[in-house]
Amino acid sequence: MRSPINEIPIHVLSPDLMLTGQAEAVLSEVSDLLGRLLETGEEGSIDLRSLPLSPADRDWLDERLGRGEVEIALEAGGRSDIYETAYAGVWKVTHRDTEGRVVAEFIEVSHVPAIVKPAGADIENAHERLQSDLKQITQEGNER
Amino acid sequence: MNKEETLLDHMEREGLSRRTFLKYCASLASLMALPPTAAAAMAEALGKAKRPSVIWLPFQECTGCTESLTRSHTPSVEGMIFDMISLDYQETLMAAAGHQAEEALHNAMKDNYGKYVLIVDGSVATGLNGAYSCIAGRSNLDLLKEAAQGAAAIVALGSCAAFGGIPKANPNPTGAVAVSDIIKDKPIVNISGCPPIPVVITGVLAHYLTFGTLPELDKLGRPKAFYGETIHDRCYRRPFYDQGKFAKTFDDEGARKGWCLFELGCKGPVTYNACATTKWNDSTSFPIESGHGCIGCSEPDFWDAGGFYKALSTPANPLKYVGAAAAVGVAAGAAVSVANRASKNAAMAAHEKTQLTDLEK
Repeated sequence: MRSPINEIPIHVLSPDLMLTGQAEAVLSEVSDLLGRLLETGEEGSIDLRSLPLSPADRDWLDERLGRGEVEIALEAGGRSDIYETAYAGVWKVTHRDTEGRVVAEFIEVSHVPAIVKPAGADIENAHERLQSDLKQITQEGNER
Repeated sequence: MNKEETLLDHMEREGLSRRTFLKYCASLASLMALPPTAAAAMAEALGKAKRPSVIWLPFQECTGCTESLTRSHTPSVEGMIFDMISLDYQETLMAAAGHQAEEALHNAMKDNYGKYVLIVDGSVATGLNGAYSCIAGRSNLDLLKEAAQGAAAIVALGSCAAFGGIPKANPNPTGAVAVSDIIKDKPIVNISGCPPIPVVITGVLAHYLTFGTLPELDKLGRPKAFYGETIHDRCYRRPFYDQGKFAKTFDDEGARKGWCLFELGCKGPVTYNACATTKWNDSTSFPIESGHGCIGCSEPDFWDAGGFYKALSTPANPLKYVGAAAAVGVAAGAAVSVANRASKNAAMAAHEKTQLTDLEK
């Protein structure tokens, strides 16, 4: 007979004990990037998946950064969640695929995350499309 | 998608937005260890790229490499990559069989001569003139030589194709060798691992599409973007190693606290791969995160490197020092610690240290 999983006699300790102290280093890099954004306007980004952080480190980092006023949900080949942290100009960007799996995770330091801004060509395209839609609406109105 | 269409055209036709593409490039840049700011440049170059023909030949292999690639993230990033290449021959995935399949292979080779990317998984049997492994009555050795002639580049996928892998393990009954032992006049990328990480192959293809060249390689022919650092360097348990906190058995307090698995035989310090950051099973975890040391599967001859549960500081040949205890060691946790302790004592007595070169011999 198979026993339920919680009857397995090995109990893993609280993930709090797995804090490695590396998240602090990330926080100080964020601070540097924010300083650079202020001075030169240069945007910065930290790829969280390339860093050796434990799950507890990540939780600690999220907690420390907190949450600000802006939240953006992006539906593009899966959902992306973007929010401003409690520090203005510091954004947490999580990209997911169509099945909800995280494919990339960044801390972005910028006025607005790059992916949120529409591309010039797309605006051009939208303008053309809207003009032609309007034309059609007027035409339909005339026919009625 | 026809071959003259660019990737961006194709994606637009499929109804995929520019943001989807940007997002895809951001995740690619992340996995290729490029700075996040490179995503925009990549998007521009990739958007103009055309779809190359890819021919995939399986030799002495277990199909684990194909499993790894196809079971991952479909239909997301990998699915997109498959829209981006023209996979003209792949025995496991293609609908055609028999003469039709052979015809597809020859047509692809003829039509794209000098331009196709050849992917090989599995080692090449050289014993008995290659008779140990044949497809459609021809030896792998013959097929490889023919297919390599018209290839722009060759990707040796998996430790078998890259280094000989398991078929080459002692005593190597089939005379198995790596692709690079046979082909000397073509650029070869080794994507080692048993199996390799799926996104690494799509990353190499994306690099080829983006920059029109093969990525920078290490001394073993592996792309530096993925194999540039050891598992140990990128391991989240590394700080415990630095603090001298080690699990001594698989069920002690240290193991529960997630301490370093070095003393339990982890080969992370001498193994170059991206597992610690890319992870496995849809980025769920990787062996060390699941509580087991790295077995070093992306390094040459990992199978003969002297025991998965022997700490790197112990001698490479367990039988020489601890006899049967090491052989039993793999069977049970308790026995492992006994064997390890015994071999560690033996190591101290012998003053021997296992170096990277021992693992690679």
